[in-house]
Amino acid sequence: MIARLLTALLVLTLGVGTAREAAALAVVATSTSMGALARAVGAERVGVIVLAAPDRDLHALQAKPTMIRALRDADLVIAVGAELEVGWLPLAIASAANPRIQPGQPGYFEAADQVVRLDVGIPADRALGDVHPAGNPHVNLDPVRMSAIAAALAERMAGLDPDGAAGYRANAAGFAAALEQRLPSWQERLASAPGVLLYHRDALYLLDRFGVPLLGTLEEVPGVPPTARHLKRLTEQLRGRAGVVIHTPYQSPRAPRQMAQILGWPVYSLPLDPPADADAQAYLDHLDRWVMSLSPQP
Amino acid sequence: MHRPLLPIAIAALLVSPLAGASTDAEIAELRMLIEQMKSQYERRIQALESRLAQAELAAKPSASPDASATSAPRAIQAETRPMTAPLASPAVTDAPRSGLEGVSGGDAFNPRLSVILDGNYYHDSHAGEGAALLGNAWQTASGGLDHAHDHAADEDHAHDAHAHGTPSNGFNLREAEIAFAATVDPYFDAALYLSVDGDGHVELEEGYVQTRSLPAGLRVKGGKFLSEFGYVNKQHPHEWDFVDQNLPYLNLLGQHGLQDTGLQLTWLPRLPIYTLLGVEALQGDQERFGATLDPTQQQALGLGRTNDGPRLWTAFAKLAPDLGVNHALQLGLSHAHNSQHQEVQEHTHGHAADEHHPEEIEVHRNGLDGDADLWGVDLVYKYDGGGAHGHRDFKFQTEYLRSIKDLTIRSSAHPEVVGSRRTFTTDGFYAQAIYGFAPRWSAGLRYDVLGLTNEVSGGRQEDAGSSDRWTFDVTWNLTEFSRLRAQYAYNSILESAHERERFDAVYLQFLMSLGAHGAHAF
Repeated sequence: MIARLLTALLVLTLGVGTAREAAALAVVATSTSMGALARAVGAERVGVIVLAAPDRDLHALQAKPTMIRALRDADLVIAVGAELEVGWLPLAIASAANPRIQPGQPGYFEAADQVVRLDVGIPADRALGDVHPAGNPHVNLDPVRMSAIAAALAERMAGLDPDGAAGYRANAAGFAAALEQRLPSWQERLASAPGVLLYHRDALYLLDRFGVPLLGTLEEVPGVPPTARHLKRLTEQLRGRAGVVIHTPYQSPRAPRQMAQILGWPVYSLPLDPPADADAQAYLDHLDRWVMSLSPQP
Repeated sequence: MHRPLLPIAIAALLVSPLAGASTDAEIAELRMLIEQMKSQYERRIQALESRLAQAELAAKPSASPDASATSAPRAIQAETRPMTAPLASPAVTDAPRSGLEGVSGGDAFNPRLSVILDGNYYHDSHAGEGAALLGNAWQTASGGLDHAHDHAADEDHAHDAHAHGTPSNGFNLREAEIAFAATVDPYFDAALYLSVDGDGHVELEEGYVQTRSLPAGLRVKGGKFLSEFGYVNKQHPHEWDFVDQNLPYLNLLGQHGLQDTGLQLTWLPRLPIYTLLGVEALQGDQERFGATLDPTQQQALGLGRTNDGPRLWTAFAKLAPDLGVNHALQLGLSHAHNSQHQEVQEHTHGHAADEHHPEEIEVHRNGLDGDADLWGVDLVYKYDGGGAHGHRDFKFQTEYLRSIKDLTIRSSAHPEVVGSRRTFTTDGFYAQAIYGFAPRWSAGLRYDVLGLTNEVSGGRQEDAGSSDRWTFDVTWNLTEFSRLRAQYAYNSILESAHERERFDAVYLQFLMSLGAHGAHAF
């Protein structure tokens, strides 16, 4: 009886994962942006599992058993990095008992580490909120940085899977070209953008890229809810000018709606990451949504 | 590692037209390759330039901020346009790191350090003795308050009922937990957890190494650590959803749970669903489950000396089916066996007063030893509501524990019972649910009970019922680093087989987390 059970277990063990083994690289991406990047660069040579839904706060997730299971067999982990996933990814990776994806190994890739980050060198003082001296991690909304990250990712994938090297590099170049193509229209649309009031500095890279004014953040310091005093001050500063309020689905909509009403601005709830199973196209469409929302109102 | 490729690629490009065998497609591919490398090199050069600029800055500490801002050429500023926003801070740039990424960042070679401060105001309607009673509820196998652990003979009473988690009425600093964690080398991670209580007594909660590069989903942990028996056992007190531990854990395992020194092996097999299997070999120095007496008592009661370790063995399995991104479920089954358990059981004989003797009470002490088994079943379900800061999140957690002590009476004032065997069985469970009713606010409800079964073999049923409790709490997470909690409990605890205490207990707790970001464990 026990022998039969063990045999069944063994057969099951060997039989599993063959679907993903068909792909040359088993990739685990933390966010759908990183998943889109993996699909853009890896195309048919990679099998991608994304750990977080696009409407969730990547900073607040828990290391769930299913994540640990996915990491167990990964050849490559693609994280946003810069401490965005610090609460759960190191724990999940450690629990996955997979030496290939430990930080420092080729199987561990951080997007934010490949590019120049903004907000670097903020004093490490939590009186200023949940600050991260490594810099603002939300690089995924900047198309130019993402194309640099794609190039770096192609090199990393080429190192792990030399047979696909040419393909990875060509795909990254293709991704860069597709971005190039849309850049002029985005630049044109955003040239006269009135500016945006965010909840958190999470769309900073997009604004910085296209010179869209950041009119303020609803939270006074990162990770601390908006205070009435701060909102009042913002209202006084911004009254009379044009703008738009944008928050993510996981940020409380109360303060954004209230501010939008007082200022007479539109308010949008936009996720930072593209929909589940996004590829390069879906990522570009996602940026389109952001650009449309930031554009001057007709 | 790409450096040698560039000359080779160029050489290839130069040579290939001569060879005459190349197609346009190949040339295009090579050109792209070179473009790729060029852009990579440009990025590296930019990075180097900006690093150089920073180094120059650092070399001129006397320069005024304005002067340094103009003198430092920011390689990247041409690329990232400065913010036109009135409120945005200027875009400070930095070179990308070397490619040796680490989400944990920032700690260089020092271990990550964190401190948790855990304090409370406590009041119960049992003259402040309630919290101590919770951990010493009557059970068949126990001799009441005079417990098996060598506490009774401890000269150092720092560790008695009024330490580590058992508050008095009024203000208490339960503990300051100091944690160090680091990667030792490519092969090991290590962690150290110290707990300092309100009186300044330091205790080693955990100190272990754990492998990081074993193949086949294997991991080995060694040192002093919290066993992975059950679900709540490996959580530190500040991770609990209520201020205090549940009744079955408190009474069957003691204040510290299964916290012991030894080795753990876990295996994460390649099964379609998450399955974690593990075994532990531990020394067996326990407060409750598999406790041994001190040598003086052992001699006085005719019990053998404490055997060589390891005496405590555990095995556990955890299963977590994939229910999509919003739901998570984990089921666990655990077993522990301690090869040696000793305890003293006291009973009294009242001799009624007659004409020759005044009334007197005689105390008899029986010495028992044998072994002990413990079974645990646990279930944890979590729903991620997707709201702001835990809003609409839900968690349900329940565990059932059953302890079976198989003992032989070694000494007694009644010689006829010496040598006879007694099996003591006590069980209990808790069930608790937590709901995020607003962003940053959650409410919890718990029911826990000890002694659904109180059995002694041989049909000697002295079941006096069970001890139980209802607990309600509200937690306010101001930020990720600070937490305030209010908790009320209605307790109905058996002090002895014939005496039940019903009392209320209130906690107001603060939990502060300093230093490194805590880990969000499932």
